[in-house]
Amino acid sequence: MNGSAASTVSTAAPAGAGDTTTGSTTDVEQLKALQRRRPFGVWFRDKGWRHLVGIAVTIFAIFPLLYVLSAAFNSTGTLVGSNALFSRIDFGNFSELFNNPARPYARWFVNTMVVGVVTSAATVFLGAMAAYAFSRMRFKGRRIGLLSLLLLQMFPQLLAVVAIFLLLSGISEVIPALGLGSQLGLIMVYLGGALGVNTYLMYGFFNTVPQSLDEAAKIDGASHSQIFFGIIMRLVTPILAVVGLLSFIGISGEFVIASVVLTDPDSQTLAVGLYSFVAQQRSENWGVFAAGAVLAAVPVMALFLFLQRYIVSGLTQGSVKG
Amino acid sequence: MKVQNTLTTGTSRRVFTAGAISVVAALALSACGGAAATAPATATATATAKPDLKSAGASTITMWVDAERSPALKDITAKFQADTGIEVKLVVKDFAAVRDDFITQVPTGKGPDLIVGPHDWVGKFVQNGVIAPVELGDKKSGFQDSAVKAMTFNGSVYGVPYAIENIALLRNTDLVPAAAKTFDEVITNGKKAVADGKAQFPFLVGMDPKQGDPYHLYPLQASMGSQVFGLAADGGYDPKQLLIGDAAGVEFAKKLAAWGDAGEKIINSNITGDIAKEKFLAGESPYFLTGPWNVPDVQKKGIKFAVDALPAAGDKPAQPFIGVNGFFISAKSANALATNEFVTNYLTSEDAQDSMYKAGGRPPALKASFEKAASDPIVAAFGKIGATGVPMPAIPEMSAVWADWGATELALIKGQGDPAADWAKMAASIKAKIAG
Amino acid sequence: MTDTELRQAAGAASATDPDGSGPAGRPGGPGAGRRRFGADTTKGTVAKIVLLGLVDALAVYVLMMLFLSESWGALAVSSAVVLVINWIYLRKGGLPAKYLAPGVLFLLVFQVFVVLFSGYIAFTNYGDGHNSTKDDAIAAIQLTAQKRVPDSPAYKAAVLAKDNSFYLLFTDPQGKVSIGTTQAPLEEVSGAGKDSTGKANAVDGYRTLTFQEIVANQQSILAITVPVSADPADGTLRTADGSNAYQFKPALTYDAAADTFTDTDTGVLYRDNGKGAFAADNGETLTTGWKIEVGMDNFVRAFTDPSLRGPLLGVILWTFTFAIASVALTFAMGLFLAITFNREDLRGKKVYRILMILPYAFPAFLSGLVWSGILNPQFGWLNQTLLGGATIGWLTDPLLAKISVLVVNLWLGFPYMFLVCTGALQSLPTELDEAARMDGAGPWRVFRSIKLPLLLVSIAPLLISSFAFNFNNFNVIFMLTGGGPRFADTDRDIGATDILITLVYKVAFGQGTGRDYGLASALAIIIFIIVATVSAISFKQTKALEDVNS
Repeated sequence: MNGSAASTVSTAAPAGAGDTTTGSTTDVEQLKALQRRRPFGVWFRDKGWRHLVGIAVTIFAIFPLLYVLSAAFNSTGTLVGSNALFSRIDFGNFSELFNNPARPYARWFVNTMVVGVVTSAATVFLGAMAAYAFSRMRFKGRRIGLLSLLLLQMFPQLLAVVAIFLLLSGISEVIPALGLGSQLGLIMVYLGGALGVNTYLMYGFFNTVPQSLDEAAKIDGASHSQIFFGIIMRLVTPILAVVGLLSFIGISGEFVIASVVLTDPDSQTLAVGLYSFVAQQRSENWGVFAAGAVLAAVPVMALFLFLQRYIVSGLTQGSVKG
Repeated sequence: MKVQNTLTTGTSRRVFTAGAISVVAALALSACGGAAATAPATATATATAKPDLKSAGASTITMWVDAERSPALKDITAKFQADTGIEVKLVVKDFAAVRDDFITQVPTGKGPDLIVGPHDWVGKFVQNGVIAPVELGDKKSGFQDSAVKAMTFNGSVYGVPYAIENIALLRNTDLVPAAAKTFDEVITNGKKAVADGKAQFPFLVGMDPKQGDPYHLYPLQASMGSQVFGLAADGGYDPKQLLIGDAAGVEFAKKLAAWGDAGEKIINSNITGDIAKEKFLAGESPYFLTGPWNVPDVQKKGIKFAVDALPAAGDKPAQPFIGVNGFFISAKSANALATNEFVTNYLTSEDAQDSMYKAGGRPPALKASFEKAASDPIVAAFGKIGATGVPMPAIPEMSAVWADWGATELALIKGQGDPAADWAKMAASIKAKIAG
Repeated sequence: MTDTELRQAAGAASATDPDGSGPAGRPGGPGAGRRRFGADTTKGTVAKIVLLGLVDALAVYVLMMLFLSESWGALAVSSAVVLVINWIYLRKGGLPAKYLAPGVLFLLVFQVFVVLFSGYIAFTNYGDGHNSTKDDAIAAIQLTAQKRVPDSPAYKAAVLAKDNSFYLLFTDPQGKVSIGTTQAPLEEVSGAGKDSTGKANAVDGYRTLTFQEIVANQQSILAITVPVSADPADGTLRTADGSNAYQFKPALTYDAAADTFTDTDTGVLYRDNGKGAFAADNGETLTTGWKIEVGMDNFVRAFTDPSLRGPLLGVILWTFTFAIASVALTFAMGLFLAITFNREDLRGKKVYRILMILPYAFPAFLSGLVWSGILNPQFGWLNQTLLGGATIGWLTDPLLAKISVLVVNLWLGFPYMFLVCTGALQSLPTELDEAARMDGAGPWRVFRSIKLPLLLVSIAPLLISSFAFNFNNFNVIFMLTGGGPRFADTDRDIGATDILITLVYKVAFGQGTGRDYGLASALAIIIFIIVATVSAISFKQTKALEDVNS
């Protein structure tokens, strides 16, 4: 913990916190110098075990996915019929994915990106606004509001598909552009969940940002929106990035509602399209599905790589920019 | 400072309000214009009115189809559009949910005009009032009898069939060169192949680890004289005659236990569909009880195989369940006439049935198309077996049967419990569920 | 140094942070009121004007469309919503509402509606066989009751028009041509024009409709029923496609005045039985029924259903165990991993992190299938490769199945907790470490006394929400075990890993003649009351945590 904490502070080095940081910067340098010369035992106690944990957990996390990968590269194989993984490697499944005009995989990919990015950005924004209100303001019905948000998530959604279909078909009558078959309509349905778990997550984090920050800003005459956008949002960048990533993953994998709302193959999302490969009982095409799922995981990984810098060094950047 | 603040707030609020109102007004005006311009002219259709398909809501037919079938329908829909000017919109749906979506969406008037699906949905569709009968007229005789029979419910035909599907026994001819007639011979041949060290498993059939697989095991059950439902006067299944618990059923239950994990290990509860396929592809078993869907991969792998008739375990014929795929018309189609025209006069054509066969590889329901397809010996063999089959029950009561049936069979194969007692318990449970 | 002192010291350190980190370039000094916010900037005001303007423009458009479509109820509700939104944003105070309104609006429309809809359905018999309105059901019964008269000929048909009404022109297999419409019984015509196939298609004085015209007027044409003769028993001729016609006779006739169906063969009378179906005196019902409101019936059934009574207690216990253990395990693992890799100078941490979130990025049901393959007693990798050919029933032994379900759920869920905890650790003010360490506390002490409590502030609400999710985690159970292995002491298909929601599914959707949404909703509401009570109580506990830092 020691090294990481000190170095973050040193890079942040806001003018006002000068004293303590100068001291710790020297500490870090000394420590680093020490580290270079230390014996294996010390290294292991400090870092080595972390690699052991990392390797063990990675194996746990990755192993089942190897079956998926193996199935993706084998155009005649099954998903878990054999433990002889990668006994045959070909790209038949991938070429089938991209060479079927009835199933425009590339198009689905783009649709998923659009719906996923728009929805997760809007989710972060709406959720953060609500979390700000719940965390920073004291108003009548606040606790009840929080509790209702929670309880709402607990309601078993057995009838969600039927209800949402009825609702959207009603909306289609009035504004076709927001109703059935429109991606905008689907995004709206997803935004219905923007105040769910995500608000809870952000609310918790907003609570950890000291109130004194707001107070000080208010003394400086900052408006509430300036405090919100200028201070709070920056300080909680890591969690905003996490929420964005989580909701992107959630939306790119969602297919129950998407398959009811989006009916035109050209407007469908990846999940809806992919499920059509395995929807026929007894003649599921697991190979192609696996290939599609592998490719669908790529943007998620890319997004994570992109967001990682915000997730792991958010506070530092927030303070510097602020 | 404080005063200043209030002042700025006051000013900005006034500016804000004024600005907001003007923006609203401007945008609303433009929206008005747009709405007025695009508002559809409502024309009342009379006998002498010019045909305006768009205003009558009849310029398209929406059809829910699975992704595999969709390309096969391109030609016939193009022909229909050229002939009539009506576009058939093919909507590829997720087939796991499509039946339930159809049932919920048709009553709202937003559902499709047409849906593709297996015949055993018919009972549920009629129960929910979502499909209309189809009169095939003279064209009926062009279809295989079993296909039309499967599409018949309460005495009416509800769909236009296009493919028949049933299981058969695949035999690896390198391991067992000659076909067997009875299941006992199959067991003997299989065991011999294992004893000779040529194979690992005497016989393969995929079992769902949670639900078993009564569908694949049914021919064996039928060959011992056990059925699920008796037949009503009009030839359809009669939910009031639940026959599954009779003496023949109990005999079959005892056999299952004898074939299972605690007995001869012919049917292995741990072999899933995936594993069965892999093992057969690896040449580790002479027999694989499966359907035409696994044939392409067997061919690709270069296994020499034959399609054998289903072996009988008793003295009755080993009838498989047949599944018939077809087209169903929504009871609330806004374009029912054109949909009927498309279904009865276009989808029944040889061309349409041929191209559906090419896409799916399942034996066509139209006799003329089947004869062409039967030049492929595998299709011919599957078709021949299908002709002996019985339709999978389509009555809504069937949904009360599957879970208990499968779980009980699976438990017996695992060697758990007493066959006679458990089979009776299963029959009682199904009966109670049907009674509600 | 006690924990409290440590925390105070840490608090003091973090309190030094705000200096200099306020928004840049804001004028304003120490004179401003302590609890008042500053004024909006011009930029902010313009943004607000444009946004609210856009929203209102859309609203006006929607209201207009509602007006045109004469949906008065929706119009009233929408107008009220628009007024409330404008009031919220135009008035001076009410800041919380300004921040909450957009999210709450979507929430109300799309989530609360679902809940209310389920609530309503719980009081109906909606489900298979009771799918729509009574009118729809009557129409469907009439439609399916039309049976073709046995051995009747197949006619070719054409549609003709005269004086704004439609006529059908029939050619029978012998080439005999006749014409008729609903009010005008069949009458033979001679000298009709015929096409190359011998089908009559023109009669003097009538205009022949093209297919396009037929389609454009299909509702009237489909409604034509031409009596074959004066005897109604001969049935009527009708066409479904405009080019073929058949002789139909209804097997059931509907009497609208008496609201009964009569079987034309047996004379059996089917009456509305008050349960959403037409029933004969012997209790036999017509296949298609309709949706009615049934009051508390579903709740009564839920409490008296014999399949629920026996194993219910066991299922409830396991549901709580499953939900709590899932949350605890995923959180513990996620937090542990987040701490382990929360080191700036750890080589390869990026690689570890990205590989660890992968389980979350694949479709859960695909992973579920893979896991059930890995856990296969005979062929699964775990038994065959890792345990050298053991035959352990990971999913078939009641206790092992429970453990397996938990492990797979851990696999599915730990990446989520790992991400959240990583974000949480990064959000903690780093000065905490410094201050505490200066006071001589070791890393473990710092973690336990300072970081963990602060982490819980941010994560406790999420843990409750995660509990709620797992309480209803239908997919993982259904994918892996389907609720099995079955209990031996019940004749229903309920098993050792069934949780309440899978039980609801089996009871409401797996019985009788199909899905019973009414019963499912009633059961869902009962479950909801149970889990909501538990959650509301635990929610109260979070108040203490929340106040730690404010």
